[in-house]
Amino acid sequence: MEKILNDYLEKMEKHLKPIPISERMDIINEIKSEMQELYNNGVPAEKIIERLGNPKDLAKAYLGDLLSKERHFSWNRILIICAFFSLFGLSGICIVPCLGVIAPSLMISGILCVMAGIIKMLDSIFALNLPYVENIGVHIGENVFLHPVAEFMICLIIGVLLFYAGYAAWKLLVLFCKKVSRTAKKL
Amino acid sequence: MNIDDWKSQIKRGTLELCVLLLIKQRSSYGYEIISTLDKYPIVAAKENTIYPLLRRLLKEGYISSSWQEGTEGLPPRKYYSLTAQGQEYLDAMCVEWGNLVNAIAELKGE
Repeated sequence: MEKILNDYLEKMEKHLKPIPISERMDIINEIKSEMQELYNNGVPAEKIIERLGNPKDLAKAYLGDLLSKERHFSWNRILIICAFFSLFGLSGICIVPCLGVIAPSLMISGILCVMAGIIKMLDSIFALNLPYVENIGVHIGENVFLHPVAEFMICLIIGVLLFYAGYAAWKLLVLFCKKVSRTAKKL
Repeated sequence: MNIDDWKSQIKRGTLELCVLLLIKQRSSYGYEIISTLDKYPIVAAKENTIYPLLRRLLKEGYISSSWQEGTEGLPPRKYYSLTAQGQEYLDAMCVEWGNLVNAIAELKGE
């Protein structure tokens, strides 16, 4: 192929840099295919260049959508971005650490609650008289004493509930982070 | 009277329909599409319009493409064909096109 045609393609490729390499090569090959087609039909190289126009303009036509998305400047957009980052920046300061502390705390509490119930029950069944176990228990009223097995059942239920509450807080945190990053990408 | 301005708006609005109709008839490559459209001045368009349009239609899944090796001195060509999604889109466009033609016919009092 003639040199001016190759030069044309090289210039075009230079202006297509924002497009990923594989797509860029595809675009160049397609234009090259048309050049060869025209050349085979007896159209002189100069006429082919004339037909295709300025290589920079042809490349820009491909970038059209990309540019209008990136270069578009408006005060409205700036305001939206500012509002977004101040809102999520502030809420992020509260929400992320709060949920980050709440989630594992609740989960650990849930596990400890069940373990405490088990210790109390084993202590009473096998009469181990472990120290401080008298401090563990479910206290409903002054003179109401529950059977250790009943206490264990209550501990189990509360433990599971606490664990799920922690798990929910964790899910909420993940959801929040995902939502923020997705919204930020859209801006 | 600025008929050229209006004509370019018509072209911009209907080129997509024309290209899809052309590809539906048979799989075609860029240069062939440009040459065929060249026969109809109202929708004739240059490389810097058709290629980006084809790329967009490809990205939106309305058409698919495949490179075919050149034989007997012919260059390799990138053929475009209509996808099922493109057919659906084209059908919807044709319905709207029919509505437009009918509306204009009625307004003209035909």
